[in-house]
Amino acid sequence: MIDEGKPIFLQIAEQIENDIIAGSIAEESQVPSTNEFAAFYRINPATAGKGVNRLVDDGILYKKRGIGMFVAEGARARLVDARRTRFRDEFIRPLIAEAAKLGIDPDQLTEMISTEGVSA
Amino acid sequence: MTSSSPSSTASSAVVSVHGLTKRFGKVTAVDNASFEIQPNTITGLLGRNGAGKTTIMQVLTGQDFATSGDVRVFGEHPTENARVLSRISFIKESQRYPDDFQPKHVFQSAPWFFENWDADFAAQLVEEFRLPVNRRIKKLSRGQLSAVGVIVGLASRAPLTFFDEPYLGLDAVARQLFYDRLLADFAEHPRTVVLSTHLIDEVSQLLEHVLVIDQGTLIIDEPAETLRGSATTVVGTRTAVDAFVAGRDVLHRDGIGGLASVTVGRLDADERREAAQAGLELSPVSLQQLIVRKTNLTEKEFETQS
Amino acid sequence: MTIPSTTSSQTPTTSGPVPASAGNPHPMNRIWNAARLNFINKWTVYWIPLMILGFIWLINMAIWWIIDANVSGSDRQDAFQGTQWSGASFYVFVYLLVIGVQSMNMTFAYALGLSLTRREFYLGSSLAFGVLSVAYGGVLTLLSYVEEWTNGWGFGGHMFTSVYFGAGPVWQRLFVFTAAMLFFAFIGAVSGSIFMRWRTNGLLIAGAITMLLVLGAIALVTFTQSWPLVGEWFVASGPHGVVAWTLIPTALAAIAGYFILSRATPKG
Repeated sequence: MIDEGKPIFLQIAEQIENDIIAGSIAEESQVPSTNEFAAFYRINPATAGKGVNRLVDDGILYKKRGIGMFVAEGARARLVDARRTRFRDEFIRPLIAEAAKLGIDPDQLTEMISTEGVSA
Repeated sequence: MTSSSPSSTASSAVVSVHGLTKRFGKVTAVDNASFEIQPNTITGLLGRNGAGKTTIMQVLTGQDFATSGDVRVFGEHPTENARVLSRISFIKESQRYPDDFQPKHVFQSAPWFFENWDADFAAQLVEEFRLPVNRRIKKLSRGQLSAVGVIVGLASRAPLTFFDEPYLGLDAVARQLFYDRLLADFAEHPRTVVLSTHLIDEVSQLLEHVLVIDQGTLIIDEPAETLRGSATTVVGTRTAVDAFVAGRDVLHRDGIGGLASVTVGRLDADERREAAQAGLELSPVSLQQLIVRKTNLTEKEFETQS
Repeated sequence: MTIPSTTSSQTPTTSGPVPASAGNPHPMNRIWNAARLNFINKWTVYWIPLMILGFIWLINMAIWWIIDANVSGSDRQDAFQGTQWSGASFYVFVYLLVIGVQSMNMTFAYALGLSLTRREFYLGSSLAFGVLSVAYGGVLTLLSYVEEWTNGWGFGGHMFTSVYFGAGPVWQRLFVFTAAMLFFAFIGAVSGSIFMRWRTNGLLIAGAITMLLVLGAIALVTFTQSWPLVGEWFVASGPHGVVAWTLIPTALAAIAGYFILSRATPKG
């Protein structure tokens, strides 16, 4: 569940983001407490706290004093937006670069993607 | 020492050690170690058997005497100091009990000395570890004996708790139970915990800070998250690997035929891309592997020097 | 992977950081609790010594019964006079020696495991030895009166009124029993401390030194032909007088035990 090479707090933050994107944690609903995250993933509570705080800093979660942590309104849209940007940087750009290296022109590339999409 | 002591007494560290050396006759068990332990953290004190972990904890808890160096716990010297010791719970693998004791006698007497003792929690743990409380301690299995210590260590809720190889003989299920209860109770009642073990992979996620000692010398003193990813193993054809690692600090080298597997330090995103383009495979190095590599390295250095 | 939302089920009623300033030990409490560590197993403190005593008493009764059944006339009277010299109850004192040794050996390691200081442990254990000595001494005193009231358990036998203890007033009997118990407890304690500090070699050397001192004393008395004087002194002092002198070695053993243990480390 936990990847050895990556900081755990980032993995926790990503996990919560994934749950928000997938809709399994709705906006304005409460997320588990830091201690619950720590117990669930069997990690140090300080590390879990660091992951959660990162999302608070990003405005994805917000604290209600004395109650807990909630998903901000519009959080899902913002996360999807950010992930799309990242998708372009991490997948599309290298894809185009690699395609250019192999002499695949944009039309061929589009066609390859659409046939893959059909068969998938 | 004189210039650094004012700042060290002012720091918020629960434990601060400066230049600790402990010799047993001609053997130097701990050699000039300096470190601090921050409040409300779980710190791993790791290393191979006989590296000096237990000796350090014995000195920190006033059970043994330092040969030289300055040791402060809660800002004071721990030796024969009830103000300090009454806030410490030290669970060690080699703990001895009076011959005629049964576990129930331990759970009866321990609360006299630990202000925060939680009897309900202790009772719950006795159930969960399936500990027979009316059997002579001498007749308990190794795992049951360890459970006695683990229960005292958790239920005492001492502001500073040391676990020295607390689970010898406990099976995987019981160890997981210990980790789960430790984490949950630590989350609800934050306190300073020092965990010493050789089962590094099992505890690495629980730790916030890591101290590694090898042959009496402190070789790592880092936050656990910093150590995570601080080494990477590069696998590929010997020529490609050699070209990639040239000029880097090599922690470990392994190979078979034309293949090589080399452990190097942290790689940034560009370096990872470069490795991928060279057809190399990268795999993360666990804390345990990292420590094995590092302690091997110092051993080799030691051998070549002497 | 979704985390089950169990937020509501958890009610952190008693949660909160452990008070780090909790270090407020009441010295007397800790010393008294260190004493209690020595009493925690009821078997060791009450039942086993009583059983030892009871067993010795039964053996004595059997011997007295055999004498009673087989010896008659003036021989019989001589025989029961002879039981005054019985050393049977000596074993109860040896038990105190064992308690002293075990305390410094086992209970010490446990007490440090519970974060007591050596000083707290030693003072507490000394207190425990004192309490035990008075309590056991009281029981023996009581039994010495029962022995008198029952005319030597019906046979005219002597176990608790032997010549070593005397048959003086109640305070004298209590003093003799208690002081003798204390002597053995602290001899045990100092031996246990020596073992904790220097292991077997320490015990061997301490034993050798003690032997030499005793031999030296015997030689001194012999060469100065003072044995009659010594005998007279014993008679003149009486049991309580002799026992009163043991308070000096008892005190020396207690003090030595403290300093020896104050630098000892329990080893696994």
